[in-house]
Amino acid sequence: MPLALPDLQAAFAAHVANDVAGGDRADLAAAVVGDTISAEARLRVYRHHVAHSLSAALAATFPTVQALVGEGFFRGLAQSFVAEALPAQPVLAEYGADFPAFVGAYEPGRALPYLADIARLDWALNVAFHSPKGRRLAAADLAGIAAERLPSLSVALSAGAALIRSRYPIHRIWHASQPDTSANTVDLDAGQADLLVLRRSDDAAFIVLDAGEVAFMVSLAAGTSLEVAAGQAASAEPAFDLSAAFARLLSLEAFAALQ
Amino acid sequence: MTNTRIAIASALAAALVLPVAVQAQGNTEKCYGISKAGKNDCQTATSSCAGTSKKDAQTDAWLSVPKGACEKIVGGSLASKK
Repeated sequence: MPLALPDLQAAFAAHVANDVAGGDRADLAAAVVGDTISAEARLRVYRHHVAHSLSAALAATFPTVQALVGEGFFRGLAQSFVAEALPAQPVLAEYGADFPAFVGAYEPGRALPYLADIARLDWALNVAFHSPKGRRLAAADLAGIAAERLPSLSVALSAGAALIRSRYPIHRIWHASQPDTSANTVDLDAGQADLLVLRRSDDAAFIVLDAGEVAFMVSLAAGTSLEVAAGQAASAEPAFDLSAAFARLLSLEAFAALQ
Repeated sequence: MTNTRIAIASALAAALVLPVAVQAQGNTEKCYGISKAGKNDCQTATSSCAGTSKKDAQTDAWLSVPKGACEKIVGGSLASKK
């Protein structure tokens, strides 16, 4: 007896998703034409197409990870992820939020302990690139506010901005992985990296923050006032220059416009 | 207002009137840009041939060894290079 349509669709979806339990069902193959090409081979075309397309989408979203490990290794990594986590929505650019965590747990990648942090950086750049421009806070917006009121203001990070903190020098690793790089070797023991990823007018970028700046931004991102954030920054870095840091971050449009 | 708060207020106010040349420094230092082509959700139309193999792909053993720019990353306790 042929499969009812809902059962046929469910069996086909399970096959495409490479679901071992519900995958190669004889009754599914029986519902597919098999002449010069067997029904099983016809079905596999769809499975491979899904795996290949989603792996290609991950390679586009995580170019630095791919550059570090090479295309062959990345294909194995990406297809392992795809088999475990199919997209939950239709936009390919939004596929892969869980990929950095998967990379961190991927056994064959254990020799590269920084790889998951690089994946987080690639993801943050991808999110920043696809985030709406939004209104940014400019120095002129604050000029009309009395100076004594400035410390109690809370400013939020601009749309798409993200802090990426790693115990590895991932800014140097990123730099050494670019196609047109002149960087030679990177010493993994060169210390941590605190990066601020930003959406700019035509692209996404990141900057390196010093200890005071990162404490300042972590505090503001948690919703504190400028006064509290300045205190945190001064504790982290006694030489923190609040004027220079605030001017620099304003000029980079790191903050969202006031509500 | 405490002295600390006054100091913070004046430092923040000073940031708003720093000369443009000083403010612009933030845009020129260590700012690595990426520029991506828009990702077309139909991108597979150009690369579908590679995905339409009728045989299951073999995962070759040598593919489990990363082989890329990671060769430039040295040091670290877990990085087993050479």
